[in-house]
Amino acid sequence: MPRITFIAADGAETVVDAGEGDSLMQVARAHNVDGILAECGGEMMCSTCHVYVEGDWLDRTGPADEDERDMLDFAPCEITDASRLSCQVKITDDMDGLVVRLPERQV
Amino acid sequence: MSLAPVNDSVTVHRLIDDPYPVYAQMRTHTPVVQVPSVKRTMLTKAEDCRMVKDNPALFSSNDPTTPMEKAFEAHTLMRKDGEEHLRERNAMMPTFSPRNLKTIWGPMYERYAAEYLDRLPRGEVVDLFPTLAGPLAARILAECMGIPDASDEQMQFWSQALIDGAGNFGWFDEPFERVARANKEMNRVIEANAERVKAAPDQSALSVMLNAEDPIPWSQIVANIKIAIGGGINEPRDALLTIIYGLLSNPGQLEEIRASGNWSAAFEEGVRWVAPIQASSRLVLEDTEIRGCDIPKGTVVMTIQASANHDEDVYENGHLYDALRKSQPHQSFGSGPHHCMGTHMARMTVGRLLLPILFERFPNMRLENPEDVVWRGFGFRGPINMPVRLN
Repeated sequence: MPRITFIAADGAETVVDAGEGDSLMQVARAHNVDGILAECGGEMMCSTCHVYVEGDWLDRTGPADEDERDMLDFAPCEITDASRLSCQVKITDDMDGLVVRLPERQV
Repeated sequence: MSLAPVNDSVTVHRLIDDPYPVYAQMRTHTPVVQVPSVKRTMLTKAEDCRMVKDNPALFSSNDPTTPMEKAFEAHTLMRKDGEEHLRERNAMMPTFSPRNLKTIWGPMYERYAAEYLDRLPRGEVVDLFPTLAGPLAARILAECMGIPDASDEQMQFWSQALIDGAGNFGWFDEPFERVARANKEMNRVIEANAERVKAAPDQSALSVMLNAEDPIPWSQIVANIKIAIGGGINEPRDALLTIIYGLLSNPGQLEEIRASGNWSAAFEEGVRWVAPIQASSRLVLEDTEIRGCDIPKGTVVMTIQASANHDEDVYENGHLYDALRKSQPHQSFGSGPHHCMGTHMARMTVGRLLLPILFERFPNMRLENPEDVVWRGFGFRGPINMPVRLN
Protein backbone atom coordinates (compact mmCIF):
# COMPACT_ATOMS: atom_id res chain seq x y z
CA MET A 1 0.00 0.00 0.00
CA PRO A 2 1.67 3.26 -1.05
CA ARG A 3 2.24 5.61 1.86
CA ILE A 4 1.53 9.25 1.15
CA THR A 5 2.39 12.41 3.07
CA PHE A 6 0.26 15.54 2.85
CA ILE A 7 1.91 18.69 4.20
CA ALA A 8 -0.53 21.47 5.06
CA ALA A 9 0.27 25.13 4.44
CA ASP A 10 1.10 25.50 8.15
CA GLY A 11 3.56 22.60 7.98
CA ALA A 12 1.37 19.98 9.67
CA GLU A 13 1.99 16.53 8.17
CA THR A 14 -0.59 13.79 7.64
CA VAL A 15 0.70 10.38 6.60
CA VAL A 16 -1.80 7.91 5.19
CA ASP A 17 -1.92 4.59 3.37
CA ALA A 18 -3.45 4.87 -0.07
CA GLY A 19 -5.41 2.32 -2.00
CA GLU A 20 -3.90 1.63 -5.40
CA GLY A 21 -6.03 2.93 -8.23
CA ASP A 22 -7.61 5.62 -6.09
CA SER A 23 -6.96 9.22 -6.98
CA LEU A 24 -4.87 11.32 -4.67
CA MET A 25 -8.00 13.40 -3.98
CA GLN A 26 -9.97 10.29 -2.96
CA VAL A 27 -7.17 9.29 -0.61
CA ALA A 28 -7.19 12.74 1.00
CA ARG A 29 -10.96 12.76 1.38
CA ALA A 30 -11.05 9.22 2.75
CA HIS A 31 -8.62 10.25 5.48
CA ASN A 32 -10.23 13.64 6.16
CA VAL A 33 -7.12 15.54 5.13
CA ASP A 34 -7.96 19.20 5.70
CA GLY A 35 -7.33 21.49 2.80
CA ILE A 36 -8.69 19.31 -0.02
CA LEU A 37 -12.23 20.44 -0.79
CA ALA A 38 -12.89 18.51 -4.00
CA GLU A 39 -16.25 20.17 -4.50
CA CYS A 40 -17.01 18.45 -7.79
CA GLY A 41 -16.04 14.99 -6.57
CA GLY A 42 -13.32 14.35 -9.12
CA GLU A 43 -14.76 15.45 -12.45
CA MET A 44 -12.10 18.13 -12.98
CA MET A 45 -14.72 20.81 -12.89
CA CYS A 46 -13.85 22.78 -9.81
CA SER A 47 -10.12 23.24 -9.05
CA THR A 48 -10.58 22.84 -5.29
CA CYS A 49 -8.21 19.88 -4.84
CA HIS A 50 -5.01 21.66 -5.84
CA VAL A 51 -1.71 20.23 -4.52
CA TYR A 52 1.99 20.84 -5.12
CA VAL A 53 3.89 17.63 -5.83
CA GLU A 54 7.11 17.70 -3.84
CA GLY A 55 10.53 17.46 -5.51
CA ASP A 56 11.28 14.64 -7.91
CA TRP A 57 7.92 12.97 -7.33
CA LEU A 58 6.65 14.93 -10.29
CA ASP A 59 8.53 12.40 -12.45
CA ARG A 60 6.17 9.72 -11.16
CA THR A 61 2.92 11.68 -11.12
CA GLY A 62 3.65 13.53 -14.32
CA PRO A 63 2.76 17.19 -14.83
CA ALA A 64 -0.74 18.59 -15.42
CA ASP A 65 -1.93 18.30 -19.00
CA GLU A 66 -3.37 21.25 -20.89
CA ASP A 67 -6.99 20.83 -19.73
CA GLU A 68 -5.89 20.46 -16.15
CA ARG A 69 -3.69 23.54 -16.38
CA ASP A 70 -6.63 25.52 -17.73
CA MET A 71 -8.72 24.43 -14.78
CA LEU A 72 -5.89 25.20 -12.37
CA ASP A 73 -6.14 28.80 -13.52
CA PHE A 74 -9.19 29.04 -11.28
CA ALA A 75 -7.29 27.99 -8.17
CA PRO A 76 -6.69 30.97 -5.86
CA CYS A 77 -3.09 30.18 -4.86
CA GLU A 78 0.05 30.37 -6.95
CA ILE A 79 0.29 27.81 -9.75
CA THR A 80 3.72 26.27 -10.29
CA ASP A 81 5.11 23.50 -12.47
CA ALA A 82 4.48 21.19 -9.50
CA SER A 83 0.77 22.07 -9.34
CA ARG A 84 -1.70 19.24 -9.90
CA LEU A 85 -5.39 18.70 -9.35
CA SER A 86 -5.22 15.76 -6.99
CA CYS A 87 -8.33 14.17 -8.54
CA GLN A 88 -6.27 13.66 -11.69
CA VAL A 89 -3.37 11.86 -9.99
CA LYS A 90 -3.98 8.13 -9.93
CA ILE A 91 -2.08 6.28 -7.21
CA THR A 92 0.25 3.54 -8.46
CA ASP A 93 2.52 1.24 -6.45
CA ASP A 94 5.63 3.20 -7.47
CA MET A 95 4.29 6.22 -5.57
CA ASP A 96 5.07 4.78 -2.14
CA GLY A 97 6.55 7.69 -0.18
CA LEU A 98 4.92 10.42 -2.30
CA VAL A 99 4.89 13.82 -0.65
CA VAL A 100 2.53 16.63 -1.65
CA ARG A 101 2.07 20.09 -0.20
CA LEU A 102 -1.30 21.79 0.14
CA PRO A 103 -1.95 25.41 -0.79
CA GLU A 104 -3.13 27.91 1.80
CA ARG A 105 -6.67 27.82 0.45
CA GLN A 106 -8.75 26.22 -2.29
CA VAL A 107 -11.31 28.98 -2.94
CA MET B 1 -33.04 2.30 15.65
CA SER B 2 -36.01 4.52 14.89
CA LEU B 3 -37.20 6.92 12.29
CA ALA B 4 -36.18 10.57 12.39
CA PRO B 5 -38.26 12.72 14.74
CA VAL B 6 -41.13 14.73 13.27
CA ASN B 7 -41.35 18.50 13.44
CA ASP B 8 -44.99 19.50 12.95
CA SER B 9 -44.61 23.08 13.98
CA VAL B 10 -42.47 24.37 11.11
CA THR B 11 -44.56 25.95 8.37
CA VAL B 12 -43.50 26.80 4.84
CA HIS B 13 -44.25 30.45 5.60
CA ARG B 14 -41.82 30.41 8.50
CA LEU B 15 -39.16 28.88 6.28
CA ILE B 16 -39.74 31.51 3.61
CA ASP B 17 -39.61 34.43 6.04
CA ASP B 18 -36.93 33.53 8.56
CA PRO B 19 -35.49 30.02 8.29
CA TYR B 20 -32.16 30.47 10.06
CA PRO B 21 -33.40 30.31 13.68
CA VAL B 22 -35.38 27.19 12.73
CA TYR B 23 -32.28 25.52 11.30
CA ALA B 24 -30.19 26.53 14.33
CA GLN B 25 -32.72 24.78 16.57
CA MET B 26 -32.70 21.73 14.35
CA ARG B 27 -28.90 21.50 14.32
CA THR B 28 -28.90 21.50 18.10
CA HIS B 29 -31.84 19.23 18.84
CA THR B 30 -32.99 17.33 15.74
CA PRO B 31 -30.31 17.47 13.02
CA VAL B 32 -32.20 14.84 11.01
CA VAL B 33 -35.90 15.60 11.09
CA GLN B 34 -39.08 14.88 9.17
CA VAL B 35 -40.89 18.08 8.23
CA PRO B 36 -44.43 17.27 7.08
CA SER B 37 -45.12 20.78 5.79
CA VAL B 38 -42.52 20.27 3.03
CA LYS B 39 -42.88 16.45 2.86
CA ARG B 40 -39.13 16.02 3.27
CA THR B 41 -36.64 14.77 5.83
CA MET B 42 -34.33 17.70 6.45
CA LEU B 43 -30.60 17.29 7.00
CA THR B 44 -29.11 20.34 8.68
CA LYS B 45 -25.52 19.35 9.53
CA ALA B 46 -22.66 20.14 7.12
CA GLU B 47 -21.23 16.64 7.28
CA ASP B 48 -24.55 14.99 6.41
CA CYS B 49 -25.33 17.36 3.55
CA ARG B 50 -21.93 16.79 1.98
CA MET B 51 -22.20 13.01 2.44
CA VAL B 52 -25.53 12.91 0.61
CA LYS B 53 -24.33 15.03 -2.32
CA ASP B 54 -21.19 12.95 -2.69
CA ASN B 55 -23.08 9.66 -2.76
CA PRO B 56 -25.38 9.74 -5.80
CA ALA B 57 -25.58 5.92 -5.92
CA LEU B 58 -27.62 5.99 -2.72
CA PHE B 59 -29.10 9.49 -2.90
CA SER B 60 -30.54 9.96 -6.37
CA SER B 61 -31.40 13.24 -8.05
CA ASN B 62 -34.20 11.49 -9.87
CA ASP B 63 -36.99 12.56 -7.56
CA PRO B 64 -40.23 11.90 -9.44
CA THR B 65 -42.44 13.75 -7.00
CA THR B 66 -41.42 17.28 -7.93
CA PRO B 67 -43.31 19.60 -10.27
CA MET B 68 -40.10 20.30 -12.17
CA GLU B 69 -40.81 18.09 -15.17
CA LYS B 70 -44.14 19.80 -15.79
CA ALA B 71 -42.61 23.24 -15.40
CA PHE B 72 -39.70 22.58 -17.75
CA GLU B 73 -41.73 20.41 -20.14
CA ALA B 74 -38.80 18.01 -19.96
CA HIS B 75 -36.95 15.58 -17.77
CA THR B 76 -33.88 17.75 -17.19
CA LEU B 77 -30.32 16.88 -16.23
CA MET B 78 -30.94 18.28 -12.75
CA ARG B 79 -33.12 15.27 -12.13
CA LYS B 80 -30.88 12.64 -13.70
CA ASP B 81 -28.00 10.53 -12.43
CA GLY B 82 -24.98 8.75 -13.82
CA GLU B 83 -24.01 8.65 -17.47
CA GLU B 84 -27.14 10.30 -18.79
CA HIS B 85 -26.66 13.28 -16.50
CA LEU B 86 -22.98 13.52 -17.33
CA ARG B 87 -23.55 13.41 -21.08
CA GLU B 88 -26.09 16.22 -20.97
CA ARG B 89 -23.93 18.25 -18.62
CA ASN B 90 -20.77 17.76 -20.65
CA ALA B 91 -22.59 18.91 -23.76
CA MET B 92 -22.72 22.40 -22.28
CA MET B 93 -19.33 22.36 -20.54
CA PRO B 94 -17.19 23.81 -23.37
CA THR B 95 -19.04 27.13 -23.10
CA PHE B 96 -17.82 27.47 -19.52
CA SER B 97 -14.23 26.39 -20.17
CA PRO B 98 -11.62 28.43 -18.35
CA ARG B 99 -10.42 29.81 -21.68
CA ASN B 100 -13.86 30.99 -22.73
CA LEU B 101 -14.45 32.59 -19.37
CA LYS B 102 -11.19 34.47 -19.62
CA THR B 103 -11.29 35.48 -23.26
CA ILE B 104 -15.00 35.84 -24.06
CA TRP B 105 -17.40 36.03 -21.13
CA GLY B 106 -15.17 37.95 -18.73
CA PRO B 107 -14.42 40.85 -21.09
CA MET B 108 -18.04 40.88 -22.29
CA TYR B 109 -19.30 41.00 -18.70
CA GLU B 110 -17.01 43.93 -17.92
CA ARG B 111 -18.42 45.87 -20.87
CA TYR B 112 -21.98 45.20 -19.80
CA ALA B 113 -21.20 45.99 -16.17
CA ALA B 114 -19.79 49.38 -17.16
CA GLU B 115 -22.82 50.07 -19.35
CA TYR B 116 -25.35 49.14 -16.66
CA LEU B 117 -23.47 51.08 -13.98
CA ASP B 118 -23.44 54.14 -16.26
CA ARG B 119 -27.22 54.22 -16.10
CA LEU B 120 -27.40 54.48 -12.31
CA PRO B 121 -28.07 57.97 -10.96
CA ARG B 122 -25.75 59.45 -8.33
CA GLY B 123 -26.92 61.01 -5.10
CA GLU B 124 -30.26 59.23 -5.10
CA VAL B 125 -31.56 56.17 -3.35
CA VAL B 126 -31.66 53.40 -5.93
CA ASP B 127 -32.90 49.85 -5.57
CA LEU B 128 -30.08 47.73 -6.99
CA PHE B 129 -32.29 44.66 -7.43
CA PRO B 130 -34.22 45.81 -10.52
CA THR B 131 -31.64 48.31 -11.77
CA LEU B 132 -28.44 46.29 -11.65
CA ALA B 133 -28.38 42.85 -10.06
CA GLY B 134 -31.27 41.31 -12.01
CA PRO B 135 -30.70 42.80 -15.47
CA LEU B 136 -26.93 42.34 -15.52
CA ALA B 137 -27.23 38.68 -14.54
CA ALA B 138 -29.87 38.25 -17.24
CA ARG B 139 -27.78 39.94 -19.93
CA ILE B 140 -24.60 37.89 -19.57
CA LEU B 141 -26.64 34.71 -19.33
CA ALA B 142 -28.55 35.48 -22.54
CA GLU B 143 -25.21 35.97 -24.30
CA CYS B 144 -23.62 32.82 -22.87
CA MET B 145 -26.62 30.71 -23.71
CA GLY B 146 -26.71 31.93 -27.32
CA ILE B 147 -30.01 33.81 -27.15
CA PRO B 148 -28.72 37.39 -27.10
CA ASP B 149 -31.94 38.80 -28.58
CA ALA B 150 -33.88 37.80 -25.45
CA SER B 151 -34.39 41.00 -23.44
CA ASP B 152 -33.42 41.38 -19.79
CA GLU B 153 -37.11 41.55 -18.93
CA GLN B 154 -37.91 38.37 -20.83
CA MET B 155 -35.01 36.49 -19.28
CA GLN B 156 -36.07 37.51 -15.79
CA PHE B 157 -39.71 36.69 -16.43
CA TRP B 158 -38.84 33.27 -17.83
CA SER B 159 -36.46 32.55 -14.98
CA GLN B 160 -39.02 33.38 -12.31
CA ALA B 161 -41.72 31.45 -14.14
CA LEU B 162 -39.50 28.36 -14.28
CA ILE B 163 -38.57 28.69 -10.61
CA ASP B 164 -42.15 29.20 -9.51
CA GLY B 165 -43.33 26.33 -11.70
CA ALA B 166 -40.63 23.94 -10.53
CA GLY B 167 -41.34 24.90 -6.93
CA ASN B 168 -45.11 24.64 -7.29
CA PHE B 169 -45.46 21.82 -4.78
CA GLY B 170 -49.05 22.87 -4.14
CA TRP B 171 -49.77 22.06 -7.82
CA PHE B 172 -51.69 25.31 -8.22
CA ASP B 173 -52.82 26.38 -11.72
CA GLU B 174 -51.37 29.88 -11.98
CA PRO B 175 -47.65 29.03 -11.81
CA PHE B 176 -48.08 26.27 -14.39
CA GLU B 177 -50.05 28.57 -16.70
CA ARG B 178 -47.39 31.26 -16.38
CA VAL B 179 -44.54 28.87 -17.09
CA ALA B 180 -46.43 27.42 -20.05
CA ARG B 181 -46.50 30.93 -21.55
CA ALA B 182 -42.83 31.34 -20.78
CA ASN B 183 -42.04 27.99 -22.40
CA LYS B 184 -43.75 29.05 -25.63
CA GLU B 185 -41.67 32.22 -25.79
CA MET B 186 -38.44 30.46 -24.86
CA ASN B 187 -38.99 27.72 -27.43
CA ARG B 188 -39.49 30.32 -30.14
CA VAL B 189 -36.36 32.29 -29.23
CA ILE B 190 -34.21 29.18 -28.86
CA GLU B 191 -35.37 27.80 -32.23
CA ALA B 192 -34.68 31.07 -34.01
CA ASN B 193 -31.19 31.26 -32.54
CA ALA B 194 -30.50 27.64 -33.42
CA GLU B 195 -30.69 28.57 -37.10
CA ARG B 196 -28.34 31.47 -36.49
CA VAL B 197 -25.62 29.49 -34.66
CA LYS B 198 -25.82 26.62 -37.12
CA ALA B 199 -24.84 29.09 -39.81
CA ALA B 200 -22.30 30.92 -37.63
CA PRO B 201 -21.07 28.77 -34.74
CA ASP B 202 -19.73 30.46 -31.62
CA GLN B 203 -18.91 29.47 -28.04
CA SER B 204 -22.44 29.93 -26.68
CA ALA B 205 -24.11 26.94 -25.04
CA LEU B 206 -26.69 26.64 -27.80
CA SER B 207 -24.02 26.61 -30.48
CA VAL B 208 -21.68 24.26 -28.65
CA MET B 209 -24.48 21.75 -28.01
CA LEU B 210 -25.97 21.94 -31.50
CA ASN B 211 -22.72 21.82 -33.41
CA ALA B 212 -21.18 19.01 -31.37
CA GLU B 213 -19.98 15.92 -33.26
CA ASP B 214 -22.49 13.72 -31.45
CA PRO B 215 -25.14 16.14 -30.21
CA ILE B 216 -27.58 15.34 -27.43
CA PRO B 217 -31.27 15.27 -28.45
CA TRP B 218 -32.85 18.62 -29.31
CA SER B 219 -35.32 18.23 -26.42
CA GLN B 220 -32.39 18.09 -24.00
CA ILE B 221 -30.57 21.00 -25.65
CA VAL B 222 -33.66 23.11 -25.04
CA ALA B 223 -34.01 21.70 -21.51
CA ASN B 224 -30.39 22.58 -20.72
CA ILE B 225 -30.88 26.17 -21.85
CA LYS B 226 -33.98 26.41 -19.67
CA ILE B 227 -32.13 24.98 -16.68
CA ALA B 228 -29.52 27.69 -17.12
CA ILE B 229 -32.22 30.36 -17.40
CA GLY B 230 -34.02 29.03 -14.35
CA GLY B 231 -30.85 28.75 -12.32
CA GLY B 232 -28.47 31.34 -13.72
CA ILE B 233 -30.11 34.65 -12.92
CA ASN B 234 -31.35 34.54 -9.35
CA GLU B 235 -28.14 33.08 -7.92
CA PRO B 236 -25.68 35.73 -9.13
CA ARG B 237 -28.33 38.39 -8.49
CA ASP B 238 -29.03 37.27 -4.93
CA ALA B 239 -25.35 36.68 -4.22
CA LEU B 240 -24.44 40.19 -5.36
CA LEU B 241 -27.15 41.84 -3.28
CA THR B 242 -26.27 39.77 -0.23
CA ILE B 243 -22.60 40.73 -0.50
CA ILE B 244 -23.43 44.41 -0.97
CA TYR B 245 -25.56 44.22 2.16
CA GLY B 246 -22.83 42.41 4.07
CA LEU B 247 -20.13 44.89 3.15
CA LEU B 248 -22.22 48.04 3.59
CA SER B 249 -23.42 46.97 7.01
CA ASN B 250 -19.85 46.14 8.06
CA PRO B 251 -17.83 49.19 6.97
CA GLY B 252 -14.70 48.01 8.75
CA GLN B 253 -14.67 44.85 6.66
CA LEU B 254 -15.30 46.85 3.50
CA GLU B 255 -12.27 49.03 4.22
CA GLU B 256 -10.05 45.98 4.74
CA ILE B 257 -11.27 44.31 1.57
CA ARG B 258 -10.71 47.53 -0.36
CA ALA B 259 -7.18 47.70 0.99
CA SER B 260 -6.35 44.05 0.33
CA GLY B 261 -8.26 43.80 -2.96
CA ASN B 262 -9.48 40.38 -1.84
CA TRP B 263 -12.99 40.75 -3.24
CA SER B 264 -13.18 36.99 -3.70
CA ALA B 265 -13.26 36.64 0.08
CA ALA B 266 -16.23 39.02 0.25
CA PHE B 267 -17.92 36.96 -2.45
CA GLU B 268 -17.32 33.56 -0.83
CA GLU B 269 -18.51 34.84 2.52
CA GLY B 270 -21.67 36.26 0.97
CA VAL B 271 -22.66 32.99 -0.67
CA ARG B 272 -21.78 31.12 2.53
CA TRP B 273 -23.77 33.48 4.73
CA VAL B 274 -27.00 33.37 2.73
CA ALA B 275 -26.76 30.54 0.21
CA PRO B 276 -28.75 31.55 -2.90
CA ILE B 277 -29.81 27.91 -3.24
CA GLN B 278 -30.72 26.96 0.31
CA ALA B 279 -31.93 23.40 -0.08
CA SER B 280 -31.82 20.43 -2.49
CA SER B 281 -33.76 17.17 -2.59
CA ARG B 282 -32.46 13.66 -3.09
CA LEU B 283 -34.41 10.40 -3.30
CA VAL B 284 -33.13 7.60 -1.05
CA LEU B 285 -32.68 4.41 -3.12
CA GLU B 286 -32.01 1.89 -0.32
CA ASP B 287 -32.80 1.70 3.38
CA THR B 288 -30.07 3.58 5.19
CA GLU B 289 -29.23 5.42 8.37
CA ILE B 290 -28.12 8.96 9.03
CA ARG B 291 -26.89 10.12 12.43
CA GLY B 292 -28.64 7.18 14.12
CA CYS B 293 -31.99 7.67 12.38
CA ASP B 294 -33.46 5.05 10.05
CA ILE B 295 -34.04 6.46 6.59
CA PRO B 296 -36.22 4.06 4.61
CA LYS B 297 -35.92 3.59 0.87
CA GLY B 298 -38.19 6.06 -0.92
CA THR B 299 -37.66 8.86 1.58
CA VAL B 300 -36.89 12.23 0.05
CA VAL B 301 -34.14 13.88 2.05
CA MET B 302 -33.45 17.56 1.79
CA THR B 303 -29.92 18.83 2.27
CA ILE B 304 -30.15 22.28 3.79
CA GLN B 305 -27.06 24.05 2.47
CA ALA B 306 -28.20 27.18 4.25
CA SER B 307 -27.87 25.35 7.53
CA ALA B 308 -24.70 23.43 6.63
CA ASN B 309 -23.09 26.83 5.97
CA HIS B 310 -23.89 27.98 9.51
CA ASP B 311 -22.96 24.70 11.23
CA GLU B 312 -21.31 25.36 14.61
CA ASP B 313 -19.01 22.37 13.98
CA VAL B 314 -17.46 24.27 11.08
CA TYR B 315 -17.92 28.00 11.75
CA GLU B 316 -17.67 30.35 14.64
CA ASN B 317 -20.51 32.88 14.55
CA GLY B 318 -21.74 31.46 11.27
CA HIS B 319 -24.82 33.66 11.47
CA LEU B 320 -22.69 36.76 10.92
CA TYR B 321 -21.27 38.09 7.66
CA ASP B 322 -17.52 38.27 8.11
CA ALA B 323 -15.54 38.79 4.94
CA LEU B 324 -12.33 38.57 6.99
CA ARG B 325 -13.18 35.09 8.25
CA LYS B 326 -10.50 32.45 7.87
CA SER B 327 -11.34 30.78 4.58
CA GLN B 328 -13.80 27.96 5.26
CA PRO B 329 -15.43 25.54 2.87
CA HIS B 330 -19.12 26.16 2.23
CA GLN B 331 -21.69 24.15 0.32
CA SER B 332 -23.42 26.84 -1.69
CA PHE B 333 -22.24 25.42 -5.01
CA GLY B 334 -23.04 21.89 -3.89
CA SER B 335 -20.68 19.00 -4.44
CA GLY B 336 -20.52 15.78 -6.37
CA PRO B 337 -21.74 15.30 -9.94
CA HIS B 338 -24.30 18.12 -9.71
CA HIS B 339 -21.74 20.66 -8.51
CA CYS B 340 -22.90 24.02 -9.84
CA MET B 341 -21.82 24.51 -13.43
CA GLY B 342 -21.85 28.28 -13.06
CA THR B 343 -19.44 28.30 -10.12
CA HIS B 344 -16.45 29.69 -11.98
CA MET B 345 -18.62 32.09 -13.93
CA ALA B 346 -20.11 33.45 -10.69
CA ARG B 347 -16.78 33.65 -8.88
CA MET B 348 -15.28 35.53 -11.80
CA THR B 349 -18.12 37.85 -12.78
CA VAL B 350 -19.51 38.80 -9.39
CA GLY B 351 -16.46 38.21 -7.20
CA ARG B 352 -13.49 39.31 -9.23
CA LEU B 353 -15.01 41.70 -11.76
CA LEU B 354 -18.16 43.43 -10.56
CA LEU B 355 -17.50 44.02 -6.84
CA PRO B 356 -14.30 46.05 -7.32
CA ILE B 357 -15.81 47.99 -10.23
CA LEU B 358 -18.96 48.79 -8.23
CA PHE B 359 -17.21 49.94 -5.07
CA GLU B 360 -14.66 51.93 -7.04
CA ARG B 361 -17.36 53.69 -9.02
CA PHE B 362 -19.45 54.49 -5.92
CA PRO B 363 -16.90 54.72 -3.09
CA ASN B 364 -19.41 56.30 -0.72
CA MET B 365 -22.32 54.00 -1.45
CA ARG B 366 -24.53 53.82 1.65
CA LEU B 367 -27.26 51.57 2.91
CA GLU B 368 -29.26 54.18 4.79
CA ASN B 369 -31.86 51.94 6.39
CA PRO B 370 -30.63 48.35 6.58
CA GLU B 371 -33.94 47.41 8.22
CA ASP B 372 -35.73 48.29 4.96
CA VAL B 373 -34.08 45.36 3.23
CA VAL B 374 -36.46 42.41 2.94
CA TRP B 375 -35.14 38.86 2.75
CA ARG B 376 -37.23 36.06 1.38
CA GLY B 377 -37.12 32.48 0.26
CA PHE B 378 -36.97 28.87 1.32
CA GLY B 379 -35.54 26.97 -1.68
CA PHE B 380 -33.90 30.07 -3.10
CA ARG B 381 -33.16 33.00 -0.83
CA GLY B 382 -31.92 36.55 -1.08
CA PRO B 383 -32.86 40.18 -0.55
CA ILE B 384 -35.81 41.30 -2.67
CA ASN B 385 -34.70 44.93 -2.55
CA MET B 386 -31.46 46.79 -1.93
CA PRO B 387 -32.08 50.51 -1.56
CA VAL B 388 -28.72 52.27 -1.48
CA ARG B 389 -27.63 55.87 -1.95
CA LEU B 390 -25.02 55.97 -4.70
CA ASN B 391 -22.11 58.37 -4.38
